[in-house]
Amino acid sequence: MSAASQPVPNTFTHETPRDPFWYKRAVFYEVLIRGFKDSNGDGTGDINGLIEKLDYLKWLGVDCLWLLPMYESPLRDGGYDISDYTKILPEYGTLGDFIRLVDEAHKRGMRIIADLVMNHTSDQHPWFQASRHDPDGPYGDFYVWSDTDEKYKDARIIFVDTETSNWTYDPVRGQYYWHRFFHHQPDLNYNNPAVQEAMLEVLRFWLDLGIDGFRLDAVPYLFEKDGTNCENLPETHAYLKRIRAEVDRLYPDRVLLAEANQWPSDVVEYFGDPVTGGDECHMAFHFPLMPRIFMAVRRESRYPISEILAQTPKIPENCQWGIFLRNHDELTLEMVTDEERDYMYAEYAKDPRMRANVGIRRRLAPLLDNDRNQIELFTALLLSLPGSPVLYYGDEIGMGDNIWLGDRDGVRTPMQWTPDRNAGFSDCDPGRLYLPVIMDPIYGYQALNVEAQQKNPGSLLHWTRRMIEIRKRHPVFGLGDFTELNSSNPSVLAFVRELGNDRVLCVNNLSRFPQPVELDLRRFEGSTPVECMGGVPFPPIGELPYLLTLPGHGFYWFTLTPTSATEES
Amino acid sequence: MTTALEDLLAGWIGRQRWFAGKGRAIDGVGIESDVELKSGDPGLRHLILQVRQAGTRDRYQLLLGTRQEIPQRLQHAHIGGGYYDAAHDAELTAVLLEAMAQGADIGPLRFRAMEGVTIETGLRSLVLGAEQSNTSLVFGEAYICKLFRRLVPGINPEVEIVTALARRGSPHIAQPYGWFAIDIDGVDTTLAFMQRYLSTANDGWSLALASVRDLYGYAHQPEIPASDVGGDFAAESHRLGIATARVHRELAAAFPTGTLDPPEIKRMAERLRARLDRTLLEVPQLRGRDEVVHAAYDRLADIDHPITVQRVHGDYHLGQVMRTHTEWVVLDFEGEPGQPLEERRALDTPLRDVAGMLRSFDYAARHLLINHPEGRILEPRAAEWSARNRAAFLAGYTEGGGRVHGDDAVLLRALEYAKAVYEVGYEARNRPTWLSIPLAAFTPREE
Repeated sequence: MSAASQPVPNTFTHETPRDPFWYKRAVFYEVLIRGFKDSNGDGTGDINGLIEKLDYLKWLGVDCLWLLPMYESPLRDGGYDISDYTKILPEYGTLGDFIRLVDEAHKRGMRIIADLVMNHTSDQHPWFQASRHDPDGPYGDFYVWSDTDEKYKDARIIFVDTETSNWTYDPVRGQYYWHRFFHHQPDLNYNNPAVQEAMLEVLRFWLDLGIDGFRLDAVPYLFEKDGTNCENLPETHAYLKRIRAEVDRLYPDRVLLAEANQWPSDVVEYFGDPVTGGDECHMAFHFPLMPRIFMAVRRESRYPISEILAQTPKIPENCQWGIFLRNHDELTLEMVTDEERDYMYAEYAKDPRMRANVGIRRRLAPLLDNDRNQIELFTALLLSLPGSPVLYYGDEIGMGDNIWLGDRDGVRTPMQWTPDRNAGFSDCDPGRLYLPVIMDPIYGYQALNVEAQQKNPGSLLHWTRRMIEIRKRHPVFGLGDFTELNSSNPSVLAFVRELGNDRVLCVNNLSRFPQPVELDLRRFEGSTPVECMGGVPFPPIGELPYLLTLPGHGFYWFTLTPTSATEES
Repeated sequence: MTTALEDLLAGWIGRQRWFAGKGRAIDGVGIESDVELKSGDPGLRHLILQVRQAGTRDRYQLLLGTRQEIPQRLQHAHIGGGYYDAAHDAELTAVLLEAMAQGADIGPLRFRAMEGVTIETGLRSLVLGAEQSNTSLVFGEAYICKLFRRLVPGINPEVEIVTALARRGSPHIAQPYGWFAIDIDGVDTTLAFMQRYLSTANDGWSLALASVRDLYGYAHQPEIPASDVGGDFAAESHRLGIATARVHRELAAAFPTGTLDPPEIKRMAERLRARLDRTLLEVPQLRGRDEVVHAAYDRLADIDHPITVQRVHGDYHLGQVMRTHTEWVVLDFEGEPGQPLEERRALDTPLRDVAGMLRSFDYAARHLLINHPEGRILEPRAAEWSARNRAAFLAGYTEGGGRVHGDDAVLLRALEYAKAVYEVGYEARNRPTWLSIPLAAFTPREE
């Protein structure tokens, strides 16, 4: 008997019945508090601003918000350098504001998950300060200290552009400390049981405030062991199982989403034991799928997608992939270095234009030359491929980016609400904005904003909302099996999602040219495909190949309803 | 009654796509073998027919369905009276699957399953459309069973090669599952061969054309090289080259090999020259372009080392390879249907296949130019695509262990010209508007 079926305290009472598997059907929306809405005119988005916009997100059809780190931080790595796990970054608001956000979201039937960095802290964290000043004190062993920089030689350096070693010397303590990321982010020492306890305490703190789960940042690196590459160690999995058991025991409808930028066959380990239905993380991101979607459309060939899905192992019953087109990061090519197992991945990295396109930090619309047909095709794929979709804020209106801003800031500019000052994001002096709003002639806020698109029924925003609505009408998109279909045309990706009698057929033309396709649908002989957008019935499926024609970058979603009328003899 | 069936068949068989003797009067049809596979209504009989035409006598295989009443869905396969072509009747073809699964002997017919596999029965079949010389039945999404129509006594080379490569664990063939056979003139003769159906694969030709079309879309942006265009196919060509070399190595290991000595190479050069001369007489457009060919044949005749020969595919082009989710898979090791079996099984240089594939790349690049309003603008794009993918294929072939340098390069060049000369003759006779495709092969190119 799985833990999820045990009697549990009801923690999600607000008009929505508790559903331990909600994340398998949910539409996620990644939001940067800093960039969403400024409520107090200081030029930086905040929690109260986000609360103001919950009705918009509800209207769009979002089920769950994913917040980037909102903890106290010196902000040397976008908040992924946490200096106090139990405080809110003052610019964003207070703990009271956060509780109200969770409450208001729950009232609307929406959930909230937040990023949590377990692997390391900021070097400003009191734990680290105590550790370096008092080696024999209670925090002396909270970090990984060594007299030399010789240990764990087989661990690669992840940020090769900025770091030369995983060890940095601390003159205060007179020892080296271990860090897998920036040198100002010392790794916590999980071999110390006190650290394991402290982190569980952090999790309980937020879960008790009502948060619906965490995206666990950089989980593969928690433990270190000499003679290994210090990634995906059994100890790391054991600790995740411990966290999961705690969540299941006290907070059964919450979700743990792993960020493990690894090959799918390694990532499945983070779901845990399939026999139990999964006893580590409920969800994990499917990283390789996204670049393959871009590659497939550029190649006008379904193979990049077909291959990666064929190579994706089955996941435990109660688990789900998180899939996305774009997010706050650039596309990390971490896995390319680990390419021996997979020649396709090497090939993908070889394609120079591909590298130029997705290696740089761009939003969806500019990546696709602002081509509405392609944006729609990509969104349709995101909403129909196996997994729960994660939208990135602003992509629903086709927001642009600013490549002149440094690092990853180009895709983190203020959300464009209205054609008014500062795009309706803030009423501050424009010079005070944390980042300038987009002002170019194509993506500028005067033309491209939520208000204008809400008024225009033909806008991308309305289209996206409608697609989300269709997806939510058919739980099969979240829960069903995925089977690729035989398609006579290599530019056409056709698949069927199936859950009992709920069956959806998706046909996607990856080419910019119109294409015919003959599908082998004998398995569904006698069914009538009904197109999901307009409800138009197509000719019934017979024994012969089913012919469809698609416009360039066109797609269809059909429900396959069994014909109730007597079949012809 | 029997006479009536034979008359019906004589009227029907000439209209079938797979009938090889089209355009010549049928003097009569005889039934050489008639085995009942299923009694009752509907019933199934396995027939071997002898069709007499002006002194020739060819054998054909037919699954004869019998029903009191032919339902609408089978009208297209109606032969006459209560008879129809049962390949189209999923209710009856299930019998073949069961017989192979059981390894049954029914009269003189021997049904067999490949050792070590289990055949799933109860699947419904569908006839694949658009096939020239045989009829293929797809059972469910699992198997494809090729029914050889015109029968030549002997074991079909495809069965021989595919089963041998399967035993060696080759990833580049479709898993064989079963076959059935009969003795004709005392010779074990393959009647049908069943392999795994590659349900989510596409053939190389359609993949290549998607890439070419994409490149043509950039006709007015000549500054973007083919390598930077989204639909670039070179990585696939490269991988196909590797797969081709591996299949050749597997064939060399599984079957006897031999050598072709310099005097034989000289005779081969002479034969090629004779065909060139004949084609020059027949196709005036080729004149003035033959100098490069003669030069290539001269160098071929000068080869003074023996060449290794082995079993090869024999009819290798982009339409014969399928891209699955993981590999390129090679199909149709049958050789040229209609040719005598000894010829189809003869040892040859593997570069014959390489030359065939190189020509196929050229056809893929150029055949969309025919009657294209922007044909002249696109011509350099076609040349670019062809050169890029040919080079990638050859690089892959070398990487996979194939040899294309020194004497091999000379041989390959000569074989490629020979193939193009053949194409010139073929197109001039059958598709004059396509003649420009093979003619483009006779401008010197650097590779």
